[in-house]
Amino acid sequence: MKYKTQKIAYWFFAACMLLFSLQLVYGFILGFARMGFDNLHELIPFNTARAVHTNLLVVWLLTGFMGSAYYIIPEESEREIWMPKLAWIQLISLLLVGVVAVVGYHFNHWEGRKFLEIPRELDYLVVVNVLTFLLIIFMTIWTGKRKTTTAMVLFFGLLMSALLYLPGMIDFDNVTFDSFFRWWVVHLWVEGVWELIMGAILSFLLIKLTGIDREVIEKWLYVIVGFTFLSGILGTGHHYYYTGAPRYWLMVGGVFSALEPLAFLGMAMYALSMARRGGRKNPNRIALMWTLGCAIMSFVGAGFLGFAHTLPGVNMWTHGTLVTAMHGHMAFWGAYAMIVLAMISYALPQLTGRAMHKHWMAEWGFWLSNIGMVCMTGAFGVMGVAQVYMERKAGMDFMHVQESLEVHAFGLVCAGALLTLGMVFFIKNFISYGLPVMDESAGAVTSNPVPAAPDKSL
Amino acid sequence: MLTKSAAKAFFLGGTALCGVAFLLLTMDTLKAMPERSNQEQMSEQVVRGHHIWNKNNCMGCHTLMGEGAYYAPELTKVVERRGEVYIDDLLRDPSRYTQDGRQMVKYDIFNPDEVGEEVSAGHRADIIAFLAWVGRIDTNGFPADPDMAVDTSRQPTPVTAAVLAEAPKQMGTCFGCHSVQGGGGTVGPALDGVSSRLDRDYLIKWISDPQSVKPGTTMPNLGIKGEDMDTIIQYLETL
Repeated sequence: MKYKTQKIAYWFFAACMLLFSLQLVYGFILGFARMGFDNLHELIPFNTARAVHTNLLVVWLLTGFMGSAYYIIPEESEREIWMPKLAWIQLISLLLVGVVAVVGYHFNHWEGRKFLEIPRELDYLVVVNVLTFLLIIFMTIWTGKRKTTTAMVLFFGLLMSALLYLPGMIDFDNVTFDSFFRWWVVHLWVEGVWELIMGAILSFLLIKLTGIDREVIEKWLYVIVGFTFLSGILGTGHHYYYTGAPRYWLMVGGVFSALEPLAFLGMAMYALSMARRGGRKNPNRIALMWTLGCAIMSFVGAGFLGFAHTLPGVNMWTHGTLVTAMHGHMAFWGAYAMIVLAMISYALPQLTGRAMHKHWMAEWGFWLSNIGMVCMTGAFGVMGVAQVYMERKAGMDFMHVQESLEVHAFGLVCAGALLTLGMVFFIKNFISYGLPVMDESAGAVTSNPVPAAPDKSL
Repeated sequence: MLTKSAAKAFFLGGTALCGVAFLLLTMDTLKAMPERSNQEQMSEQVVRGHHIWNKNNCMGCHTLMGEGAYYAPELTKVVERRGEVYIDDLLRDPSRYTQDGRQMVKYDIFNPDEVGEEVSAGHRADIIAFLAWVGRIDTNGFPADPDMAVDTSRQPTPVTAAVLAEAPKQMGTCFGCHSVQGGGGTVGPALDGVSSRLDRDYLIKWISDPQSVKPGTTMPNLGIKGEDMDTIIQYLETL
């Protein structure tokens, strides 16, 4: 940690751990319901549990991106965070809005639009909150000593995320318009601007962990995000096949989404080759594992499994089945959960001055959670394909099919338990780092907490 | 070798190009969607139903046009599939339909005991009108009709006792593939009225050597001749 104000990132990361834990709890409620044990139905019906599960994901990932930005931007801009007190207010208000929204879901207070269930009055608070965040980041970059490509891509990604939230707030009477603009938010986030954020964090981590020249890494960053937008923007079309939009989206969406895996493949190859070429042996091996794991799992989950059901002829049968959940889980995990966990794994030794990344719990956390997620994807895949053939292809009754899938939901819950165990280790490891060094007299420790840390690469 | 500024130009150029194309397609789509969704039929009742749909997060379990949570049935063509009466009755108290299986939330707005018969009937009519309207949206063929459905009308069924009582024992094998009065196999055609369609000589020739009459037919040559053949033909002539 070079700058005192970077420590705000610790609290964003801590909030991530809390929200992620809660997300896992609601995931189990959903999993048990799918097994036929919907015992909390009266209290927490499926739609509540599901809205909480997905919204907590979005909130903790955004919190993680913000924490990452508060860590990265000072080092990239070579100055302290502009108005750090405002950053504290921003964190607390973000959590308050999140908690109020989630509690409201338990009382049927929401908007029934998948992923964007936050009710309108809280939408405005989210906007104010994110604008505050962007202002802090912008001012830090603007008044900083230098403006790096990594910082600019990160800022551009965050700014576009905020702007793209707005189309989701337009009211329509016609449900086809609702659906059309909902994907402007959801798709253009996760298959567009969030990839800028991911790419920027990835390049920051690769610069730090491999010691490769910034110019080389940032050049390829441009190429990767270039491919992302080239395929991802028109790839939005794969959400417009069957929701009332014209037929040409089948072709546009089909062709451009078929290119989307290339962007992810490029990202994976870029991360792996940089890690191979890296001359410096960084002591924080676990951060490198999460970084490379993120690049690979995002290719498999987002790129490959996304492509697996995105061709119009396939999607006609798989659209609206558990095949989507199969792709969704590994895509979000690989691309976004893992990049935040990579950032946390890198930043914690720097923030706290303790070398807990060498602890066995860190490594077990990585492997168990990833194996759990692979198994979970497999369970969803089995359920999804079985559903496609029985319900869609053979025309069996929806509920009969779902009942026959309950046994696979048991596999799903077991896989979820494995992932949860991995995260228990990760979080225990997180806690064992202790709090960031607050005392300014301990500056000697804060400036260079881990002896072999690659801070001097700048 | 690629320079950083060339990479930057590729990123900015590609993004701008795709962004413009996306916006143009969006403008065209926004013009086309009112007609494709029959917006002129979107009555106030339909809009109220849409509001109920959103307000209660129905897509948190169901899917509509394939979008939702895959926990409860797809509702795009539900009115066509189940009819208004069924949906109206189910919504009053879904637990009567779900029994021990997967539950649906019992919404007060649909429940006569909570908000009165008239008000609840209005809410149910709103959501049904909304779903019926959604069912008429041009969704490019979604959801597709099952293409691997088992045709139950072609399932073999046992021969009835009455038919068996009349038929000679030599007919036993025939019922494995053919049916009489609706009972029997479905591989070959039904034998009802066969003698009015085909004459005696043809039938004998066909049964004794099917391949010579119709090469490639699945009808087997069972080596039937003499008395057995006469018995079978006699029986067929009674049909």
